[in-house]
Amino acid sequence: MSTMRRELEDSALKAFPHWEVVREREQARATVAELGWFMAGVPEDMGGLGLSRAELGVIFAQLGRALVPGGLVAQFLAVEALAGAQAFAGRDELLESAMAGEPLTASLAIGREGLEAVPDADLASHVLVRGVQEIALVALEGATIEPTPAWDTSRALFSVKPAEGGARLVLASGAEAAALNARLDELACLALAGDALGGASAVLAISIDYLGTRRQFDRPLAMFQALKHRAADLKAAIDTASALYDASSDARGTAMGAMKAHCCEVYKQVAEEAVQFHGGIGLTVEYPVHLFLKRAFLNRELGGSAGFWNERAGRALLEA
Amino acid sequence: MSDTPEDLRHEIRQWLADNAPGDWRDQSTHEGFVASQRAWFAQLVAAGYAVPHWPGEWPGGGRSLAEQKIIYEELARADTPRLLLSFVSTYHAAATLMECASKEQAAHYLPRILKGETWCQGFSEPGAGSDLAAIRTKAVRRGDVYVVSGQKIWSTMAQYADMCLLLVRTSSEGAKQAGMTYLLMDMTLPGVSVRPIHQIQGDEEFAEIFLDEVEIPVSQRVGEEGAGWAVAQATLASERGLTLMELSYRMRGAMTRLVSEIAGTDRTEDRGVLRDLGALATRVDAVCALADRFLQKRMEDEEKIGDASVVKLAYARCLRAWAEMGVTLSGLSGQLHAPITYGDLNSGNWMADFMNSYAWTIAGGSDEVQRNIIAERMLGMPREPRGWKLEAGQ
Repeated sequence: MSTMRRELEDSALKAFPHWEVVREREQARATVAELGWFMAGVPEDMGGLGLSRAELGVIFAQLGRALVPGGLVAQFLAVEALAGAQAFAGRDELLESAMAGEPLTASLAIGREGLEAVPDADLASHVLVRGVQEIALVALEGATIEPTPAWDTSRALFSVKPAEGGARLVLASGAEAAALNARLDELACLALAGDALGGASAVLAISIDYLGTRRQFDRPLAMFQALKHRAADLKAAIDTASALYDASSDARGTAMGAMKAHCCEVYKQVAEEAVQFHGGIGLTVEYPVHLFLKRAFLNRELGGSAGFWNERAGRALLEA
Repeated sequence: MSDTPEDLRHEIRQWLADNAPGDWRDQSTHEGFVASQRAWFAQLVAAGYAVPHWPGEWPGGGRSLAEQKIIYEELARADTPRLLLSFVSTYHAAATLMECASKEQAAHYLPRILKGETWCQGFSEPGAGSDLAAIRTKAVRRGDVYVVSGQKIWSTMAQYADMCLLLVRTSSEGAKQAGMTYLLMDMTLPGVSVRPIHQIQGDEEFAEIFLDEVEIPVSQRVGEEGAGWAVAQATLASERGLTLMELSYRMRGAMTRLVSEIAGTDRTEDRGVLRDLGALATRVDAVCALADRFLQKRMEDEEKIGDASVVKLAYARCLRAWAEMGVTLSGLSGQLHAPITYGDLNSGNWMADFMNSYAWTIAGGSDEVQRNIIAERMLGMPREPRGWKLEAGQ
């Protein structure tokens, strides 16, 4: 694991050394496809790399660290759904092109009906439609696709209404749909939690750099204990959440969701403090901290809110 | 000895089903505390579960990390009392004896610890808490004894202790750390007196130790004269990791106490309560994962400066939140005074546990000290200017 982890981190640092290197979603998608990451979680006998969830987790954290834009999490979900689908004509070709980065998409709004919060729907050929009884890949030809601009401009979100009678590939139904839905929820939560932790570490590092540079009252801000102690609390929160993240890569259902909620709360906390650490310039668009702040808040809502998951976790504990 | 970790789990679970003292909270009041702790410790020693972290030549020692985790998990699951009385003996004293003491000292004292000899730690002083190097208790060598005078404070269970790990000042020359010497002190020596400290929750877990011309044989010194600081570091490092893992697991096990405050009330459908419970349980899981990861790093020699501070800070803050939720859930009834029980984090009384949680944010390096270590050593933030002096009128 640790060798693979290091390799993944190294290639991520080469491809996305800094948050501002790739700001354009199609270019980001092409880079991720080139790195082979969309095929990372697919079994080797289906043409993938057969990496574990823990290794996928490293990838998601790297995407978050560099604020890589676009609908990449949705693409990972579509790939996972195709790989876990019952066989149908043309499945292998579709999977292969999805692994190569040909855009597919899916809603990231777990716990809700319908197709809101669908990233990159304007680029995608199909959207994953996840019903309780049936999971299908529906062609977007003739669909109504409305942009829903979000504060986080690194993700382009859409509200989608597929055309009546459009082409529909059924991936799973009945009990198989339930199992696949659970897998997809877990993957979405892992991806968003990883994104949150990568982003939290990056924005804390940016803040510490800034505090070391900026001088007030004849000394660097980083020397003031009031700020050091807050930075230390954030570091402890990130390390704690990251230990949970690493231990949860194979977690199921509610445990994975609650982990996601925890990591996203930590991201929010760090990003909020990062704005404060930067003082007035934290309020300007030139400094990147607002990008992390906005992404942190969107991550908190995508994949099921903290309220949604924590309530389930609490109930599970009562029923244990 | 078991063959697989799951065999061990089965074995200890079976043993606990037959032996775990279910009524320890009733027995752990002032009068019964020492006897019930000694009895439970003796049972664990006999069964081979008391010192899994000791080397393999000791009964029950030589357990792997995975095995130690199983033992602590099962002790927590069975809601057994924590070994408060023998904690300093089996961790601090044992590590000091094994790592720094002479063969004769180790051979003399280690078997006595397993027989129940109780040790305390005489490090902190009224003027030297987090700034341990500022201790002033003075030892002057006279022939083959050190004559020691001074005062120690915050010594856990010192009123019940047979022996003391004593840090003294033998010189005021040079750096503060350089003049310190480490002694093993018999608590029955003339000139030693102990006064328990009454704590806010009614316990007397800590005590003060007064030393008036106490004559300690030079043969009781650990390491060279003046090398006490390094020995003290070994003492303090001994409990890191394992203890926080045990405590984290116990906190996770004790989530059932929070659940039982909710179960059977109309709050089982209170979404706010469910959310708070779920979020806290996840935070507790995160602290357990952090403690596991820290221990793994220690085992693989990958520990970095500050890692231990992160674990302690995260545990202490989570414990506070855990106990506070218990206080909140228990409502007015939680505000009613209950007979005092030594139970550390899990006494059965939420307000007592809450007040006790402060011990973890203050003792062993306060949260503020841990934060400075994390900020300066892990995040590379600059130290505050040295040499600050109080000016007249300040």
